[in-house]
Amino acid sequence: MNTPAVRVLYIDDEENNLNAFKASFRRQYEIYTATSAAEGLKILENVDIHVIIADQKMPGMTGVQFFKSITDTFPDPTRILLTGYTDIEALADAINHGDIYRYITKPWSDLELHNSIKNAFDAYKSKVDLRNKIAELEKTNDELNRFIYSISHELRAPLVSVIGIVNLVKMEDLFESSGEYWSLIETCSNKLDYYIQKTLQYYKNNKTISDNTRVDFKKLISELIDLYSYTDRETQFNVKIDQEIDFYGDAFRIEVILGNLISNAIKYQKTSEVNKKVNIDIVVNPHHVEISINDNGMGILNEHLEKIFTQFFKSKNHHGSGLGLFIVKEALNRINGKISVSSDVAVGTTFKIKIPNDTNQ
Amino acid sequence: MTPISNQKRVMIIDDNEVDLKINSKIISITKLFDEVIICQSAEEALSFIHGNLAAADKLPNFILLDIQMPEMDGFEFLEQYRKLPVSFTSTCWIAMLSSTLDFGDIQKAEANPYVVKLLKKPLKPAELQEILSRYYKQS
Repeated sequence: MNTPAVRVLYIDDEENNLNAFKASFRRQYEIYTATSAAEGLKILENVDIHVIIADQKMPGMTGVQFFKSITDTFPDPTRILLTGYTDIEALADAINHGDIYRYITKPWSDLELHNSIKNAFDAYKSKVDLRNKIAELEKTNDELNRFIYSISHELRAPLVSVIGIVNLVKMEDLFESSGEYWSLIETCSNKLDYYIQKTLQYYKNNKTISDNTRVDFKKLISELIDLYSYTDRETQFNVKIDQEIDFYGDAFRIEVILGNLISNAIKYQKTSEVNKKVNIDIVVNPHHVEISINDNGMGILNEHLEKIFTQFFKSKNHHGSGLGLFIVKEALNRINGKISVSSDVAVGTTFKIKIPNDTNQ
Repeated sequence: MTPISNQKRVMIIDDNEVDLKINSKIISITKLFDEVIICQSAEEALSFIHGNLAAADKLPNFILLDIQMPEMDGFEFLEQYRKLPVSFTSTCWIAMLSSTLDFGDIQKAEANPYVVKLLKKPLKPAELQEILSRYYKQS
């Protein structure tokens, strides 16, 4: 089997050393030699070198100086410095400035040098492999971004048109005109839209770098209630907000968290309940915000409480996607928030959240 | 801000023919406006406005503006819109109408001085009605 040729450049002003090196290693490596830094540079410019060995003591430019001079122009080849036994200053300089992989004292032992070149080539290869992998990942990431973008626009736009048509059908009193077909179309379209929205939220939560903006809870909560109570006007909201100071946090994630909890509180009401209620209490202090969202809905079975934050967990009787609370938990993790839940099937459910207030930024 | 006297003509700017059809139908059913001006692109809308600057009775009092459009998108339209004479822009509000879920889009839209709100598709008559009663004197 052909192993790839390892290309080694050896720079030394003493030609004897160059010859000895060639004699020892010509069978294993593709060897290039130069008697000065300038000559070495010329070779680097023309040949794709993997490992550079340079003598420290050379007239004009030392080995370390040479390595320093090519840090930007030729960052990839792995560097080995050859030097006399006692040259401690060169050693320190090499470690501190030269980006040098190995330091070998003269006279070298063939075995030691051979092993060093082998390891140096491996280091070169990992460096290049890593860079290729990063480039590949960046490309994949870019494609994923474009895919998500097309989900949120190209894929969702026609679905929203369908929902718009269903709304028109209702406005024109045609909803009941074809048995239950229109209402089935509506249910399916809404479900699909819900999944698209949750998928985007989950993805954005993972991708978006957390920002730090001023959050006005009064405004945010009233917008969210407007948004989610649109289809259900029966639920009464009691909102108490105690925010006398500014709160700084990740507005996007806080909206996602509260949006999911409020929409759940509305969605999981008892159908038999006459006074459907959701209480929202928010207290902001300089260190954090404490939010409590309490409903008198159907509650969560004790044995389910542990599992509600896991992906795709859904209780048998209710039509959830198993994504809402999972996204809440993931988003809270990103912003160092905490959540706890208590529930009683007879009374309802309370979620308590604590999110740090990042005022000093 | 002072409410604009009253709303008569709405301009809908959207490259999507289905949505144009849906939204003009909603407006004709709800009778929120007397007249609908339909534009399939932001360029078409601008040239309509430029062509009718002298004829106030042809100009829209309200614009529903899509965001995602080929060539000139909604935000680029807004850039051009602010160059129009104040005599017109002070008599016409804009609501953006989009299926976007992008947080940035929403913030950017509502930060624009000419935009009263970003409405999410599908257009809901009640939401439109609420904007109109807030920004226009009802006759």
